[in-house]
Amino acid sequence: MVDFIQNCLDGVMVGSSYALLAIGFTLIFGVMRRLNLSYGPSIMLGAFVGTLVYLEFQMGGFAVAVATVIGAVLAGIYVERLCFWAIRQGAAVASMVSSFAIWMQLEEIVTVFFPERTYPFPPLADRTAIEIGPFFLKLENLIMFACAAGLTVLLQVLLYRTRFGLALRAVSENPRAARFMGINIGRVTFWAFALASALGGVAAYLIIGTDAQITPLFGLWATFKGLIAMMLGGMGSIPGAILGGLLLGVVEAQSTWYLGTEYRDLAAYALLFLFLVFRPGGLMGQVAAERERAALRRV
Amino acid sequence: MDPYLVSVLSNIGMISFIALSAYLLLLTGEISFGQQAYFAISAYGSGIATAMWGWPFWAGLLWGATLAGLAATLVAIPTLRLRGLYFSIATLAFAEMVRLVFEIFTYQVEIDGELVGPDGSDGFRDIRYIYDSNVTAFEYMLVIYGLLALVLIGFFVLERARLGSVFRMIGEDPMLTEMQGLNATAYKVLAAAMAGVIAGIGGGLYAHLTTYVEPKIFNVMLGVHSLAYGLIGGLGTALGPLLGVGIDIGFLESIRAISGYRMIVFGGLVAVLLIIRPRGILDEATVHWLRRRWRRWIHAQD
Amino acid sequence: MLEVQDVVTAYGKIEALKGVTLRVGEGQITCLLGPNGAGKTTLMLTITGILKPRRGSVRFHDKDITGQAPGGIVRAGIALVPENRLVFPEMTVAENLRAGAYSRTGSAASEIANDMEAMYNRFPRLRERSTQMAGTLSGGEQQMLSVARALMARPKLLLMDEPSLGLAPMIVEEIFQIVRDLHKDGTSIFLVEQNAHMALQVAHHFYLLEQGRVTFDGTPGEMAEDEVIQRAYLGTRQTA
Repeated sequence: MVDFIQNCLDGVMVGSSYALLAIGFTLIFGVMRRLNLSYGPSIMLGAFVGTLVYLEFQMGGFAVAVATVIGAVLAGIYVERLCFWAIRQGAAVASMVSSFAIWMQLEEIVTVFFPERTYPFPPLADRTAIEIGPFFLKLENLIMFACAAGLTVLLQVLLYRTRFGLALRAVSENPRAARFMGINIGRVTFWAFALASALGGVAAYLIIGTDAQITPLFGLWATFKGLIAMMLGGMGSIPGAILGGLLLGVVEAQSTWYLGTEYRDLAAYALLFLFLVFRPGGLMGQVAAERERAALRRV
Repeated sequence: MDPYLVSVLSNIGMISFIALSAYLLLLTGEISFGQQAYFAISAYGSGIATAMWGWPFWAGLLWGATLAGLAATLVAIPTLRLRGLYFSIATLAFAEMVRLVFEIFTYQVEIDGELVGPDGSDGFRDIRYIYDSNVTAFEYMLVIYGLLALVLIGFFVLERARLGSVFRMIGEDPMLTEMQGLNATAYKVLAAAMAGVIAGIGGGLYAHLTTYVEPKIFNVMLGVHSLAYGLIGGLGTALGPLLGVGIDIGFLESIRAISGYRMIVFGGLVAVLLIIRPRGILDEATVHWLRRRWRRWIHAQD
Repeated sequence: MLEVQDVVTAYGKIEALKGVTLRVGEGQITCLLGPNGAGKTTLMLTITGILKPRRGSVRFHDKDITGQAPGGIVRAGIALVPENRLVFPEMTVAENLRAGAYSRTGSAASEIANDMEAMYNRFPRLRERSTQMAGTLSGGEQQMLSVARALMARPKLLLMDEPSLGLAPMIVEEIFQIVRDLHKDGTSIFLVEQNAHMALQVAHHFYLLEQGRVTFDGTPGEMAEDEVIQRAYLGTRQTA
């Protein structure tokens, strides 16, 4: 039982970073209804910009985080312009394949400039653990969790208390009606992309900081963790993305402990597959999915 | 023939199967990220049959393709109820599950004092049927292209048959199809099964050419690439995916000057291409136009 | 106040509007009739700047607004109550109203709050439901919300695209009462309708749009006398 709870704690800590990635995914999907496969690789590029600042200018912590976020936002904007803005609205598949092509491109750009593949990254914290009764919490995980929670609250304020947040939600609910209100969809999409990339940049800094090293594979990893967490929670739902991220973290921690490392990803994908077959709307999206189905029946 | 050329052409041929497999599903409007699963299942299945059970090559290939088709059908039944992105992600999840299962799947027997068979993440060595039977690389290439030609003929027949137009109609508007009294889901399952078999043929051929398969080859990159080939080459004809494979493997791989930057160039090219032609080079309108030109030219000859 | 001059709008090669000319007078209710597919919604989308006309001009208060961005046109004083209401289903009623005021960058928050209060006074049922998700409202309530949302932009001209579509007769009656009230308060209204009987009771001027062309232009009296319209839109019981 102690093990199980310890795993849950670890899972929630790690899952908080998955939640950030999933929120980024869900923001973009919400306003565009298109999938950005290049999300992970673009924040990976940002993290390498951070690495560059760390290695070349010997700057630590905050400067690296800022550089990572800036790099991620620039890469995200590049993806948005090329794969989404430039491709007409109806061609969702073309956008997705295009974002995949840019994924390949970003990965190769990084390997050209960073041929060693594995590079050091400033660690988030000393490797110490805090003891609470029979449980241990790693300091770096605690920092990651606190940052993720703080960012989520900030995001909530942004979405529900500002004019931009109102516009963003209007566009994701009904782009046609949003245009009648005079909302410029292109501009909202652009800033949603930038926002998602910035969130992703922070997530990348936190995750890579706990590993203290980075490889170009992080792009693929981040895309899939974010995608799985988003689907588990329900596409387009922010509370869903948070729950999905935490659930994914806990399932990974439990399966690693009880079954072994080689079963960790298998368990995650199996969970995703079962969810898709039996509860395609995810944890939070069920209502929306039902409504969509009902609408289809009516026609 | 130059051995390098033979190996590049063989590669193009094999990857064409999985690209055609993803293309067939695209026709019905479904995006699959997971056709590599059936490629993998058949690679292992046919390899086990020839290397471990001593089956002849053709029987092994048939067995592998059948397994792939069965698996595709079983996956399609629960997942094709899902629409759009949900289906795509489900195929991705399934394909990754298959890969991760092969990472732990071990089944070995002793043959001539050596252990043969899949060994988890170390892969499956010594699928030596082709080499033991003294088939040359060139002859094997002919086998690949012979089978590819058969599949292509199948596609051309399909395009002219009612089934083909039903597939395209489902891709355009599944509701309209249902309203005409056709069961769109059943047709999609059929398309998925056919796509599984096609990917399976490619997988079986692949295992016997390389004699060695390991799980990590069948990762999601292979799946997304095969999907991309159809969209680059064009969705108007079955030659589209082949063109896509040719451009990627044939053309770009052969330009040595960009060897270190291949993906930078390829990625950029594809992105720009999709802006100009969101349904690929040989899209429906182009194919239609080419056909008309062709017919007019035939008439002029008479 | 609104002058549409020889407007041609096309989707690809298909021209949905083939040279439409009409004007909407200040302080009037102008009604556009026409069958499905005549181009009524296309005209609305062209006026609001969502579609760009291939030819012709749209002038509002003697200013050319052709091809302006939708935001600019809302700011100029034209707001649309879209066909099928199109409320934001997962936002509260209050948030829907706030979205309607999105383009009013110059207004202070207190001013917008006052206007919301005014909407709640006009539509008391919206006040009761102000914290509910708009998707949970009934069809008639959603239509009211849609009208209120458009009014939040403080338009001088209100475009209404088939506000009675899919509503029960009682509710339709209510909606037309709202149209009358708005007119009384000085809002000019350009109404697209299929329900000619209801429109006859409120409108000052009629246009008929058929296959992308204006085929009738006249007062309610002239319209009631026109034989073709009689048969097609007002329809006696025998022919119906």
